[in-house]
Amino acid sequence: MRPGRRVLDAVPAWVEAHRDAARRSFQRRLQAPVLSLISIAVLGFILTLPAFLWVLLDNARALSAHIDHDPRIALYLDDVAPETAAELERHLETDARVERWTWIDADEALERYREGLSDPGLLDWLDTNPLPDVIDVVPASADPATVTALREELEALAPNATVISDDEWVRQLNSLHQVGLRILTVVGALLGLGAVLILALATASELRERREEIAISRISGATHRFLRRPSLYGGLLTGFGGGVFAGILLLVGIALSRAPLEQAAAAFALEFELGLPGASHLLSLMLAGLFLGWLGARLGSGHALRDAP
Amino acid sequence: MIRLQRVTKRFGSASEALSNVSLRVDAGAMAFITGPSGAGKSTLLRLIAGLERPTRGRIQVNGHDLDRLSNRAIPGFRRSIGLVFQDHRLLFDRPVFDNVALPLEILAYRRPEMRKRVRAALDKVGLLHKEAVNPRTLSAGEQQRVGIARAIVHRPVLLLADEPTGNLDPALSREILQLFDDFNGVGMTALIASHDLGLVEGMGKPILHLEDGRIEARAAAGHPA
Repeated sequence: MRPGRRVLDAVPAWVEAHRDAARRSFQRRLQAPVLSLISIAVLGFILTLPAFLWVLLDNARALSAHIDHDPRIALYLDDVAPETAAELERHLETDARVERWTWIDADEALERYREGLSDPGLLDWLDTNPLPDVIDVVPASADPATVTALREELEALAPNATVISDDEWVRQLNSLHQVGLRILTVVGALLGLGAVLILALATASELRERREEIAISRISGATHRFLRRPSLYGGLLTGFGGGVFAGILLLVGIALSRAPLEQAAAAFALEFELGLPGASHLLSLMLAGLFLGWLGARLGSGHALRDAP
Repeated sequence: MIRLQRVTKRFGSASEALSNVSLRVDAGAMAFITGPSGAGKSTLLRLIAGLERPTRGRIQVNGHDLDRLSNRAIPGFRRSIGLVFQDHRLLFDRPVFDNVALPLEILAYRRPEMRKRVRAALDKVGLLHKEAVNPRTLSAGEQQRVGIARAIVHRPVLLLADEPTGNLDPALSREILQLFDDFNGVGMTALIASHDLGLVEGMGKPILHLEDGRIEARAAAGHPA
């Protein structure tokens, strides 16, 4: 049916067809600017909430890393043989995960305890020193996984020692962060689904307006792929606009909530600075917008074209 | 080119729009279908174009058995056909040029080739000077000619026209039929439906007469088998 057309023409023709579809889709949006802007605004609002939650979580994690509180591991050597203690000392000396450690002798500890008492004579009633020797270990990293691994290793080396670590708070903060991430995922997924459905509806109604063009094109041999191409470009345009709008809203939202958040942190004696989202955050937002826009248009056009005559 | 064997078409539970119709149109031929409105002319053309499926019977067009044509193959089949409608069905949101270019866009023609072909088609129907105007501003006869340019711009092997002169005065109608005759002269098979028997008899082409969904015996000039 296409005499004289060469295979070499196929690629530029494909590019031209896509360019035409994109241009026509853009022009259609310019013809109905209010509706297009509403779609972009809806997508922008929907993307902003999870993006803002994400920035807060990211900052909270940075906060936990900045708190000046090193976790510690205390080994109470009640029934530990001197050889085992010596081995523990050798191990602590060589382990890179250990920042520093201190040996607290039982007698020394008792002396210190006695000094703190109002009546030092009280301890003379004791026949023997009830306090054990203690090794106080400061790990090099506050990372909960590292601290736990180190503690377990020390426990294995001295099974009779009582090992206590105070890295609980790190674990708690971490689990709160996990809860936050889960909430973000659920909220993001629900809002994303809502956005896709709204954009699918908008695409379907746009295709209803084009139904005469679609009917004529069908009769002339247009495929589904050809007919939905302008809608997909429309979805990408809406997605791009929504992503940019969400980025702007996010930056404005951060600027507005920075001062109250930092004041609240100060009330808890925390030094907290709400950082701006990085380029990768903003790029992710844009990609999320493009994906949702494309998906909404794909679903809406698939549905509308299936029902079209 | 076209062969129908005992084709019946029923819409829902209504009476049959076409009953047991058999006909043949050879490649390169030109034929008319006449009959009063409601006789089944449009249904017949829609069946041949693959826009409807027959309730019973077999339809072969341009080497395709339409019963066996999968949904995926239908767009390709339709690209070998040009369709002209009584109400021309032009798109008023774009100029004449873009209306005519639509089939070429679907065929992914490149711009320069597209321009050449659209201009050639518009020139053929005498509307080259109107390529930039909106079809809404054209007369009924001009709109019909734009519809014809769109139907032949991709050089289909088969041209189907459903009452193409329905809204036109006799002089314009003859002009339009002459256009179809010209296309037929360069090898395009043409099947044209019209209720105006007087008009088509003057063309000296085979005529098939439809009445109540049946081919009437008087269609002897065609190929009613």
